[in-house]
Amino acid sequence: MRERRRTRARAPVAGRRDGLAEAGPILEVLSAMAEGNLDVARLDPERFRDPALREIAAALGRAAERVQADGTEANLRLSAVTQGVDEAIDSLVKMMVKGDLSGGLRLAVSDAALAPLIAGLGQVMETLKRFVLEAREAGLRLSSSASQLLAAATQNESSTTQQAGAVHETTATMEELQGASKQIADNAHTVSTIAEGTLGATRQGEGAIRAFLGAMEKVRHNAVEVDDAIARLSRRVERIGTVVEVIDEIADRSDLLALNAALEGAKAGEAGRGFSIVAAEMRRLAENVLESTKEIKNLIAEIREATHAAKDASDGNKRMAGEGEQLGTVAMGSVASILEGAEQTASAARVIHLATQQQRTATEQVVQSMAEVEEATRQAQAGSRQATGAAAELARLAERLAELVRRFRVE
Amino acid sequence: MTGAEPVVLFQLGPRILAARAGGVERIGNPREEGASRLLAESCLGRPWVPLRSLIVLSEAGLEAGLCVDRVLGVRSVDAADLLPLPPLAAGALSTAAVAGLVMLDGAPTPLVDLPTLIREQQQAAARDARSTDA
Repeated sequence: MRERRRTRARAPVAGRRDGLAEAGPILEVLSAMAEGNLDVARLDPERFRDPALREIAAALGRAAERVQADGTEANLRLSAVTQGVDEAIDSLVKMMVKGDLSGGLRLAVSDAALAPLIAGLGQVMETLKRFVLEAREAGLRLSSSASQLLAAATQNESSTTQQAGAVHETTATMEELQGASKQIADNAHTVSTIAEGTLGATRQGEGAIRAFLGAMEKVRHNAVEVDDAIARLSRRVERIGTVVEVIDEIADRSDLLALNAALEGAKAGEAGRGFSIVAAEMRRLAENVLESTKEIKNLIAEIREATHAAKDASDGNKRMAGEGEQLGTVAMGSVASILEGAEQTASAARVIHLATQQQRTATEQVVQSMAEVEEATRQAQAGSRQATGAAAELARLAERLAELVRRFRVE
Repeated sequence: MTGAEPVVLFQLGPRILAARAGGVERIGNPREEGASRLLAESCLGRPWVPLRSLIVLSEAGLEAGLCVDRVLGVRSVDAADLLPLPPLAAGALSTAAVAGLVMLDGAPTPLVDLPTLIREQQQAAARDARSTDA
């Protein structure tokens, strides 16, 4: 080819050397050879006068013959090689189509140039055999693993379904428990409120009893003071009675004197008339005094009766105040016990209320967690179904792969 | 009988009686008089509360008295109002101590002869004492 290019490159030069007319045929032959036409390269050397040209023409003839011979041989060999390659490819394609890799590659054409190809194809066959064997083994393992995976996925799906059911039931139960906890917390709050109210009322009762005891003590104290006042009043009344007695005695004496004066006046006749008038007046005064002292005595008697009644009432007040203090003391003891119990009850109710609040909060958290668990379980269930489907698909694919691999016969 | 006559009016139990003022020595208080000289009870009755005593002088000049409830006063009555007891009534009485009647405000009031009454009572008491001793 390089020679032909060189010939093509020289052609214009030959054209420019038209002056060498005798060498023209040689140039034409060379140009034809450069064009691949070896048949025109037959020149008779004798037609050239120049000996050099004759030798060139002879050499040209020999070269053309040699090139033509080499070309023929090369064509033959190329045909053989091409036939070998086609045969090898055809054989290989048939083996592939049949899936039979058990045999070797046998060619009718034997050419040294085909040896590398045959060797390469043999290596390819061996590689394919090895791949098929490995793929078969891998397919078997894959099928087994896919079956196991499918079984595990199925079991997992079943377990997940059961778990989802259990979680759902647990969530429902926890929601009921949440309602119950709320109810319990509300009731505990109500109990706590009532207990606090009871405690407050009991404290008020304690204060009222203390006030009552104070009032009773004051009543008793007042009764004692009233007693003293009544005693002083009695003494004063007695004193007044004594004075009235004296006045009464004086009035009685005055009356007596007046009577005797009137008597003497009457005895004296007309001479004692004025004396009698004075005596009568004195007697009327004495009688007035006696009448007044009588009224005073009646009043004193009424005062004595009232004083005795007041004394009895005061004694009754003292006695009742004492009884009231005793009852108040007993009531105070009872209220103290009630107060202690109410305080313990209120404290316990507060603790219960707090505990139920915590329980309510914990239950709500558990319900929330259970909802999250249920959601996670639902997702796990969906994932498990997908995994089961994928495992089943994988098992089918593994079976299909095994089936495909079984088509290749390697032994 | 003319002129005015003073009488002492007194209450003895439920009755109002009268006595001539001249026959009454004085008016006393029984608590201050000797009990032995006073008549606590007589044929005229017994006082409810003996607050006064009408003292008279006996013939022997000794004081003696009659316990009465009270002395109502000394009044002068017309002599015409001093009446003797009707004979039937005077005969029916066992005592001479009721000397007659005195009309006071139109109503007859027994007039008591205190010295006679006291004398009769003392004599009766003496008889009783002797009979008791016997």
